[in-house]
Amino acid sequence: MLDYFIAAFSPLNVVLALAGVAAGTIIGSIPGLTATMAVAVLVPFTFAMAPESALILMGAIYTGAIYGGAYAAILLNTPGTPSAIATTFDGYPMAKRGDGDLAVTIACLSSVVGGLVGALALLFLAPPLARAALAFGPVEYFWLAIFGLSLISALSAGDFLKGMIAACFGLILAMIGISEISAEVRLTFGSPTLLGGIEVISALIGLYCVPVLIDLVATPERHLEAGDNPRGFRLSEAIATLSRNLWNLARSSAIGTMVGALPGAGGSIAGLVAYSEARRSARDRQTYGKGNPGGVIATESANNATVGGGLIPTLVLGIPGTPPDAVILGALLVQGVRTGPTLFESGASIVYTFIFGLLLATILMLPVGLFIGRFAYGAIVRAPKAALVPVVAFMTIIGAYAIRNSISDVGVMVVLGVIGWIAANRGFAVSPIVLGLILGRIAEQGFVQSWTIGAAIEDLPGQFFGRPLSIAIIALTAITFIYPFVPRLRAGRGPADDATAAVLRRQPANAAAKLREVLALGAFGAIAAVVIAQMAGRTAEAAVFPLTAAIAMAVFVLGALAKLAITGIVTEESAPGSFVRRAMVPLVMLVTVGLIPHLGFGASCALMGLALYVVADHQRQSLAQHALAVASVLMVIVGATYAFRVFLSVPLPGGALF
Amino acid sequence: MKPTTTLCLSLVALCGLAGAALADDAYPSRQVDYIIPFGPGGESDITARLQQPYFKDKFGQDLVVSYKPGGGGAVGWSQLNSMEGDGHTIMGVNLPHIIVKPQTGDVGFKTDDITNVYMFHFTPDALIVNADSDMKTLEDYVAYAKENPKRLTASGSGKGTANHLAQVRFDELAGIETTYVPFQGTGAAVTALLGNQVKGEWGYTTVGATQGDAVRMLAVAMDERHPAFPDVPTFKELGYDIVSGAYRGIAVPKSTPEDVRQKLSDMIAEINADEKFQKQMIDGGFALLDVGYGAAMDEFMATKSDEYIAAGKSAGLID
Repeated sequence: MLDYFIAAFSPLNVVLALAGVAAGTIIGSIPGLTATMAVAVLVPFTFAMAPESALILMGAIYTGAIYGGAYAAILLNTPGTPSAIATTFDGYPMAKRGDGDLAVTIACLSSVVGGLVGALALLFLAPPLARAALAFGPVEYFWLAIFGLSLISALSAGDFLKGMIAACFGLILAMIGISEISAEVRLTFGSPTLLGGIEVISALIGLYCVPVLIDLVATPERHLEAGDNPRGFRLSEAIATLSRNLWNLARSSAIGTMVGALPGAGGSIAGLVAYSEARRSARDRQTYGKGNPGGVIATESANNATVGGGLIPTLVLGIPGTPPDAVILGALLVQGVRTGPTLFESGASIVYTFIFGLLLATILMLPVGLFIGRFAYGAIVRAPKAALVPVVAFMTIIGAYAIRNSISDVGVMVVLGVIGWIAANRGFAVSPIVLGLILGRIAEQGFVQSWTIGAAIEDLPGQFFGRPLSIAIIALTAITFIYPFVPRLRAGRGPADDATAAVLRRQPANAAAKLREVLALGAFGAIAAVVIAQMAGRTAEAAVFPLTAAIAMAVFVLGALAKLAITGIVTEESAPGSFVRRAMVPLVMLVTVGLIPHLGFGASCALMGLALYVVADHQRQSLAQHALAVASVLMVIVGATYAFRVFLSVPLPGGALF
Repeated sequence: MKPTTTLCLSLVALCGLAGAALADDAYPSRQVDYIIPFGPGGESDITARLQQPYFKDKFGQDLVVSYKPGGGGAVGWSQLNSMEGDGHTIMGVNLPHIIVKPQTGDVGFKTDDITNVYMFHFTPDALIVNADSDMKTLEDYVAYAKENPKRLTASGSGKGTANHLAQVRFDELAGIETTYVPFQGTGAAVTALLGNQVKGEWGYTTVGATQGDAVRMLAVAMDERHPAFPDVPTFKELGYDIVSGAYRGIAVPKSTPEDVRQKLSDMIAEINADEKFQKQMIDGGFALLDVGYGAAMDEFMATKSDEYIAAGKSAGLID
């Protein structure tokens, strides 16, 4: 064992681990650049390396990328990777009130702890955990997805019915395209661009980040509150916070390891489950969703624990635990290393050297992550709004494009951003839509598979409700779902400790507000009706899930209308500032999408940068200052375009110019 | 027309011709983009990655793999013909996907839209059970299915796929009725088998290569036994005429000139002929195949289309 340890710490491997973590962190921090992509780009370079070194480099870049996702989540409300969705819930409110630096440091510490727990589990518990993961069948995945959906009751922003409507909308979005398991084309309305479905990551970028940009340009206020004088890393504060959350940290790391080891789940679900559990069991539950560091700790420790956890089935069973593991597995096969049951015996030296290397990379993430985090925070906080908006808009476009090299994904991203902004404005929270979109496919597959198996063995109830693991997950779901209602049920009212209730104005409705409310509900009702009509004449396995979601949505819409008629209360968000500036953001972005195939990616985005600079600019300053700011925006755009083409081999359209 | 103008025009034309000739001779003159219409980590990706170093060695240019996943390949294939056709953009193609999908509805491309240049390997279908299963032979499997109609569940990757069509065809030939449970990808289908969620799996020989002693292959759908698994019988030996699997190859945009298509076909053949490459492929459970551009490809596609469309019809996928 000592030999492997020493092999892992060879100078070359230490350098690779360090470089990998740093590169991974930077790549992960850009929304749209995922850990999967970071690892995939690396594959050709690993051909020339020894298998151990290749693995250490890929493991390091992977773990760094998962952590890097936290920056955009905290500072821009945009999960840089799907694993960081729940980081936005508390990380962004923390940044808003001026604690962004603290949140980044806490995320770094939590990621290191979670990463270590996952890697140690891989070292000591891999075979038993792999066997445990196999006990999860389609039914368990179905219930796990439902468990994730139960978070909706906590994320509905003050209006439970609207939260449920939003979740159903997300479920329906998830059903668009060619279904993987029924092979039917659904809800594409003849559009070839929708055949591949809504890409989850570009949807995340649209739903979370575009509304932030839209609101950012409307007023001259700063993006984030900033402390007056530099406060360093705020390391001692962060450590104190962590030590108050030790149980949370341990539980979330364990959840992350276990969920990561489930081949059908992955980082996004690990983060959501850990967040849900942290919130449910916390004494200060009311402040979750309003900037409670416990939420950041839970998500970030859980998602980094999935790195080690996901490698458990990858190395033990030869089945990738997470998407990046699939790439690692493929790279190993090319190297001639066969993973699976025989690897731990025949290839022991590779496995253990790799695990020690992963531990090393995770530890190195502490200094690397703190420094890069500090830089990211400083850059976002200090950047003038007029420069920040075009650069972030550019990042959303290049990120949405790079996931599957598709310009139509960028269009979908912007459109969903507008939908997200309008929905939030009308009191429909965005997070339930995202939960529906992410969990919808897992839930549908689990459901159809369980139904098929249950029907074959002629025991449907036993299949869905009779398996011990299922019963445990169902019980947890019920508790999570009902919990928020308990105090108010005693008082005879709705959910009490709703996460974001404070943000919304509950208006004594005037006629105009009521009309807006009816129109918004009517729009969702119309969507439900279209889906129901579209599902007519489909096979049961293709129709059952979309139909259930659409009917539920229709029922919730009717419920919300009834509630409006009885109480006369309307929940909506106020939108102070300039409407014209707001509208210009998605408009400019859509025009850019149209120009890219003609002018080229770099040129179109440079034009967009100029336009958005004007839209976002509220400052009076000299021409020289403006020129300097514009020049740096253009430099970032052109530089990043070339970097993506050359280093990441992303085929960005060249068009007529560049 | 003035003489000078004529001269200029002819010069330009000459340069153009020379340029075209040069480009042909020099192909590949820069990196070749190899688009996989699936996500990373699957069989299409792995075999492309295996080709990558040989391409660079033999032809001096980088083969750059990128991904365009979506709709089980449909997103990539429907965009293939709008890409630049000079041989520097190529795309992976898979059978039965490109044959069955366009038959089931409008998926943005037709089988004939795709210009296949070379089919370089296939993953033969295999019927697999858990190592601790009571079913030791294919005979046991058929016997169990006959005693318990529909109750025998078998996982597989997706619907209308090679796995699914193999299940349909085998059930027909053996006169049995089993239940096929579609999963998203081979990994998920194998997980279900290893966890005993299903009794069997319609997978590929590659599963046998990765899983080793954890699973047992009852039969493989090849003409002769797979060199890596000399003890596993073929369906043919056991009296079931099934030779099938997922075939993978390379296609180019329609605008690609004939000579470039032919040259690319020869290049892929050269990689396939490399002994080291062959060994890597076979160890991974793949089976090599050499169907080059031209008449051979047309005949191959015609035969396979008939087979798959017939199977798709009995599976109820095609009206």
